[in-house]
Amino acid sequence: MTAIQEAAATGRSVATADTILAVKDVVVEFPRPRQNVGFRAVNGVTFNLNRGETLGLVGESGSGKSMTALSLLGIVPAPGKIVEGSISLRGRRIDNLGLKEMRTIRGKDIGMVFQDPMTGLNPVRSVGAQLTESVMRHQNVTRAEAEEIAFRALDQVSIPSPRDRLKAFPHELSGGLRQRVMISLALINHPEVIIADEATTALDATIQAQILDLFRLRLTKATMIIITHDMGVAAEICDRIAVMYAGRIVETGTIAEVLSNPRHPYTVGLLAAVPRFDIRRPKLVPIPGVPPTAEDIIRGCAFKSRCKFAQAKCDERPPLTHLGGRLASCWFPRGA
Amino acid sequence: MTDIAKDAKVAVPAGAAGSERQVETIPVFRRTMDQVKNRVIELLCLLFFVSTLLFFLLRLTGDPAAVLAGETGDQEQLALIRRQYGLDQPLWYQYFVFLFKAIQFDFGNSLANAQSAIGLVFERLPTSFTLVGIAFTANLLISIPAGAWLGSRPDRTGRKLAATAVFVMQGIPGYIVGLLLIQVFAVELRWLPSIGNQGPLSWIMPATTVASFQAPHVLRVISANVAEAMREDYIRTARANGASFSVLLWRHALKNAMLGATALIGAQVSFLLGGSIITEVIFAWPGLGRLMVTSVQTLDFPVVQAAVFVIAIFVYTAIMLTDVVFIMIDPRLRRQRA
Repeated sequence: MTAIQEAAATGRSVATADTILAVKDVVVEFPRPRQNVGFRAVNGVTFNLNRGETLGLVGESGSGKSMTALSLLGIVPAPGKIVEGSISLRGRRIDNLGLKEMRTIRGKDIGMVFQDPMTGLNPVRSVGAQLTESVMRHQNVTRAEAEEIAFRALDQVSIPSPRDRLKAFPHELSGGLRQRVMISLALINHPEVIIADEATTALDATIQAQILDLFRLRLTKATMIIITHDMGVAAEICDRIAVMYAGRIVETGTIAEVLSNPRHPYTVGLLAAVPRFDIRRPKLVPIPGVPPTAEDIIRGCAFKSRCKFAQAKCDERPPLTHLGGRLASCWFPRGA
Repeated sequence: MTDIAKDAKVAVPAGAAGSERQVETIPVFRRTMDQVKNRVIELLCLLFFVSTLLFFLLRLTGDPAAVLAGETGDQEQLALIRRQYGLDQPLWYQYFVFLFKAIQFDFGNSLANAQSAIGLVFERLPTSFTLVGIAFTANLLISIPAGAWLGSRPDRTGRKLAATAVFVMQGIPGYIVGLLLIQVFAVELRWLPSIGNQGPLSWIMPATTVASFQAPHVLRVISANVAEAMREDYIRTARANGASFSVLLWRHALKNAMLGATALIGAQVSFLLGGSIITEVIFAWPGLGRLMVTSVQTLDFPVVQAAVFVIAIFVYTAIMLTDVVFIMIDPRLRRQRA
């Protein structure tokens, strides 16, 4: 078994020659006013992303999924910043790069699709202007060539009459088309890694299905990180999955392993709260309580206050440990 | 590499593409012409109301014949003057004569020196426009870059101090700035002339005075708008695509920020022509504002009427130009209404 197969099979974070992105113990901290302990939106996240692989980051709002993604590009909103850990792209550390070098990576090596297509494009600039600006920044081409590249980029994400759309302004396009533009903007410089942050969440169900098709069929060979709170979306396009809670990965493994046999009580809870048509069950079970907020200072397992299996030992933080082919951090894992 | 698999078929359900909203953007020029068409009718209505108001207001404030006759005038002289100026006709008749002449820009002769009233106004216009033009340019040259700079990183200590200074400056009345300038640059240093229009050097102080109370206001609006724009999602998108800070600020945020500031700048310009009266008086600037002050003092109503009429047209033109700038900046205003 090769290292990559093993990594895929076990969900373990094994860095191999095929590892594109290696994230190790990353901590993103926001200073809290009048306190010396900052809020850690991302609290020691570790994962490896291999060539051609799609990793799903799932979890509730505020679990640190988006912050993890933003930290990869070095665009964590101020005053937050990466205070610990390392991020490497093809073996080269990028978390400590200067701003100028980092800018050459943004959009060129790592492309990102954001959640809300209605606000994510500049309303007073044409679609073509925004696409060509990005092309000309990263590729040594003339304006005419850049426009041709932009035209092809729109065509590739199945936007009808792309030539006219280049002249269009965002308000002239529907939500689905805008999201396609956002995707073409993220793909236009052929990035090695694509991050999609809730790329389908703001869209209605039919458009969501079209965009998912786009990801699934057009980007089969892409190396991607899909951020979603929708287990269904994750199941459809991800190879591996990492469940995040309160800034940490609490369970990670192959999609089949984790979905069919969740071990962390939080993953169990998430899956029980998802409507499914393939199995009969009496009702959806919500997870009681709310996730910790930026004000809470967490000791021990962050999930213990919402966990019905919590015991005294949970005051101590459980480490990520191997549990039947995946990693989970729980003293009292479910399933088998 | 993540090149898109080009031959993969992505199912786009039939009708999905066709049902996309088809919104057409109208070219700037055509959209502008539509706007002008609407505005011209409004302008005519406005001029009608302004002249009507002027006619009756001036009649209410005193008897023009008495003014013309002066303090020594007796009843005979008054009657003569009334006949001469048509003041013995019924008021409604006088009103229609006034309107009919106003349409032809004829407001009669100045009561003070028998020159054509509108001619006196036109004579002052170039001087006034000089002040308006310089003050307006200075205003924009200061407030746009400074506002963008202040708003781009509003949390930095230097900017906070600068913002406070601007806030204080906004509270200082223009005439105080004018008097201070005169004291320093004309009286103490003797660098700049403080009276009248004597060429470029004499433009500096009046223009600075006018800009000093207009620029802080625009600056603060631009700064607030830029700060808000810099937090928008499209800035994050551009950042994630490797845009530098200056591209984010000047190319992405500023244009959006100018949307809100344009209305204010337009309003300021329209205020300038007639509204810089105090500045014109302080610097003995031979502009429209000072002409109005003297004419009101001497009850020279033809001149007042002509001046207000011209200012009304100017204000309206300024508003119309503001609309055009809006149309140029914001593509959403160029939307074809189905």
